[in-house]
Amino acid sequence: MNAHPDGGRSGNALGAGDIPQMNWDQTGPEMKMVRDALFRHVGKPVRRKEDHRLLTGKGRFTDDFLLEGQTYAAIVRSEHPHARIISISADAALAAPGVLEVLTGADMVQDGIGPLAHNPLPSTKFDMKLCAPGGGIPFVGEHHALAIDKVRHVGEAVAVVVAETPGQAADAAELVEVEYEALPHVVDSAQAAAQGAPVIWDEVPGNVFVESSFGDWDATERAFATAAHTVEADFHVSRVTAVTIEPRAAVAQYDPETGRYELFAGSGGAVKHKGELARCFGIDANRIRVHSYDVGGNFGARNRVYPEFALVMWAARRTGRPVKFTATRSEAFLTDYQGRDLRTKVALALDADGKFLAMRADNLSNVGAFCVSLSPLSKGAGLITGSYDIPVAALRARAVFTNTMCTQAYRSSGRPEVTYAIERLVELAARKLGVDPLELRRKNLVHPEQMPYRNAVGQYYDSGEYEQNMDRALELFDWDGFAARKDEASQRGKLLGRGFANYVESSIGSPKERAEIEVFDDGRIEVVIGTQPSGQGHETSFAQVVADMLQVPVERVFIIIGDTDVVSVGGGSHSGRSMRHAGTVMAMASAELLALARGHAAEMLETAADELAYADGVFHQRGTNRSVSLQDLAARLADPLRVVTDNEMHTPVFPNGAAICEVEIDPNTFHVAITRYVSVDDVGRCINPMIVHGQTHGGIAQGVGQAMWELCAIDHDSGQPIAGSFMDYGMPRTDNMPFFISEIAEVISPTNPLGVKAGGEGGTTPALATVTLAVLDALAGMGVEDIAMPLTPQAVWQAVQDAANTQAKK
Amino acid sequence: MQEVTLRVNGEDYTRKVEGRTLLAQFLRDQLRLTGTHIGCDTTQCGACTVLMDGRAVKSCTILAAAADGAEVQTIEGVAEGERLNFVQQAFHEHHALQCGFCTPGMVMAATDIIRRHEGVLDEMTVRRELEGNLCRCTGYHNIIKAVLAAAEVYRRSKAPAQATAN
Repeated sequence: MNAHPDGGRSGNALGAGDIPQMNWDQTGPEMKMVRDALFRHVGKPVRRKEDHRLLTGKGRFTDDFLLEGQTYAAIVRSEHPHARIISISADAALAAPGVLEVLTGADMVQDGIGPLAHNPLPSTKFDMKLCAPGGGIPFVGEHHALAIDKVRHVGEAVAVVVAETPGQAADAAELVEVEYEALPHVVDSAQAAAQGAPVIWDEVPGNVFVESSFGDWDATERAFATAAHTVEADFHVSRVTAVTIEPRAAVAQYDPETGRYELFAGSGGAVKHKGELARCFGIDANRIRVHSYDVGGNFGARNRVYPEFALVMWAARRTGRPVKFTATRSEAFLTDYQGRDLRTKVALALDADGKFLAMRADNLSNVGAFCVSLSPLSKGAGLITGSYDIPVAALRARAVFTNTMCTQAYRSSGRPEVTYAIERLVELAARKLGVDPLELRRKNLVHPEQMPYRNAVGQYYDSGEYEQNMDRALELFDWDGFAARKDEASQRGKLLGRGFANYVESSIGSPKERAEIEVFDDGRIEVVIGTQPSGQGHETSFAQVVADMLQVPVERVFIIIGDTDVVSVGGGSHSGRSMRHAGTVMAMASAELLALARGHAAEMLETAADELAYADGVFHQRGTNRSVSLQDLAARLADPLRVVTDNEMHTPVFPNGAAICEVEIDPNTFHVAITRYVSVDDVGRCINPMIVHGQTHGGIAQGVGQAMWELCAIDHDSGQPIAGSFMDYGMPRTDNMPFFISEIAEVISPTNPLGVKAGGEGGTTPALATVTLAVLDALAGMGVEDIAMPLTPQAVWQAVQDAANTQAKK
Repeated sequence: MQEVTLRVNGEDYTRKVEGRTLLAQFLRDQLRLTGTHIGCDTTQCGACTVLMDGRAVKSCTILAAAADGAEVQTIEGVAEGERLNFVQQAFHEHHALQCGFCTPGMVMAATDIIRRHEGVLDEMTVRRELEGNLCRCTGYHNIIKAVLAAAEVYRRSKAPAQATAN
């Protein structure tokens, strides 16, 4: 990784002078009023509006919908990681009881249905831009809902069987005979990128389809050549899966009279899915109506369209009956979009005093058989230097095809990977220099007076007080009390360890959002918005925001989401975008609504608009007792009191924080227990602390889960995934998680009217590092210097054995 | 096909079922009580937990035919009209649910734990006994708090009058 790679295009995410707009500059009297009015409800732990229906069994999850005449789909899936399809025989399946239809890839081609329209390249203004080796747009591979000539991963859909009952469909799927010609396969990213690997796509003979360079390679080389110290490391951040507790599902019907499809499918954004499915079917988007209401977890896995969404729509048209697909848990483990799987080689150059001089990184992302998303690679690329002021850096970012399930953004896309790398590297440097790792971190942190801070690959950190996060986390953790706790544990025969990590992450996300606000004559206020919650409580926190801005009770505000016949524009929920994008456009819409209402109020009260004062939902004519409320206006106006506001916002924000994990290891069983976990998270303005803390808790559990137990294990020889149920995929459970100590830091972002950054993912981002470093700290006395995730008792035992063997040889 | 009669949430239902129909499928598909969720194939996630003859069971482990004659309570039968019961209320107060998919199973399992221990619970007991119910959103933090709070409400409601007075 010393030489500038041939063919990779050198450049930063941003062109010269292309600096994100750091100060929200939309003003005007109504916007000022809206911003001044904020925070009556905002900042308070308002209990959730969503809870009642979810606590009484009245949620509307996808599988809960039963359409009249509904039939059921079962999928025939490839058992090969890589094979050519020779023939498919459906005769026996078609003759089975209750079977209505068996469809294959050939039928799909005949019916003119194209590949899923994933659009995997991050494309907002400040995303790190990725290109093909040698430049140009990368080849991403056509992801068809059913394989056409070849299968490229175990679990790829080959045929769909539609029957009267789920049992009949499942039975008949087993009768579909597929003849394959097995091809050589490769599942590991490094092996796939090596010379002579089996080729997954003829169009990409070396399997590496993205190669981009960022930073200043010459300056980095110079810094490494003259540095007093250098450290380097090679990490693989393992593959995991989202495990939404609601398995993915879809049910569709088709109306031959109108030519319209109607799809019920929980997702991360119904509007986006409508558009992508329209492209897949080659039809106008208004011929598709998508419903997405209660969604049983997303974490990134549901942001992209699944093959089965297209299959149930198509099968509904073919059969003339509604068709439902609900994944089994095994199917979810096999074919939900998976996460991480990044190899990274990193190196750090330091001067004699421990000041960081330069960093190198070489990142290789395993996208699986088709490129569904390059978000993880791109997001990570922008943050390789982490929370530290590193003057120059050089990064090569590559993505490679393999015979595995596709990867996608998962709970803090790309950021836990690079945070793990930089924080482990900093610890290695501290050990090499013989200095306190915390002091080394302090010496090199980005300081508040450097904000907005341009990092060495061109990302602009908007705001943050990184050292203060550190101090607060150390205090909450009782860092100084650790020695006494370690002694106490050791008297019980246990090994105690602690791991610290700083983090910074970026929230970018789809740039466009629309808010429609309407006041009704009963005082009800409806807000139509295009985000898609899956537990984040938008119906509550968004209502808090609008209620404050319009100065009405939060009980009167209702958030409408999820039906694309109502919600016309919306970017969905990903990349921590929802409160920032929705909050901003709701602020603009609220200001517009108040301006509109003021005009009507002035007319009604026969006075000048600037004679009116507004408070608590009522316009008063100054110096009189004449007034009119929003509700009165709605009742008396001929037209609806309604605004539709659009916003496009590209400027990213950079949530940040610090976290510490303490573990206790039993040296007899090598069982690791998490005994203490502290997280301090700068989320910008916090709208509802109850919800944000809840998000943080869940985020921590997912990060800890990956570090401790979770792994999409794949057998390299056979290419078979071997974690197919909860029996063999380790999960965070009540009895292996502790209570968390979380604290919200609010450094207001200058980039949007609410000052929001993002919450939740900050729990996950540092956790891979904190847990691993804690385990290494606990095992330091036994000579263990490295260990790969997940940190199962077997992995810990093996690391201890290896260290003992190494020491014995010395 | 076999005919079964179950008392569900206080009402008797007689239906024909296939031999392979699971209690969870029966409740969802035949009685349209869709609050009972199915999250896995191996009786590991607990989303389908209901009370059968007063005990928490994972309804994906029981054949509908085997539940003939049983009394079943699902999440739909917990609230008193629109009023949340003490477990549901504690989940609401303590923000013990996010996406809400695991929630019905959590509430039913928690109800069983609280009753069996007569409301006398500590953190470790709750963590040990609720281990068979998976949640992906909350990290369990607020679920444990909610169950402990609900247990306390239960214990007080069952305590002898003089004890409550003191």
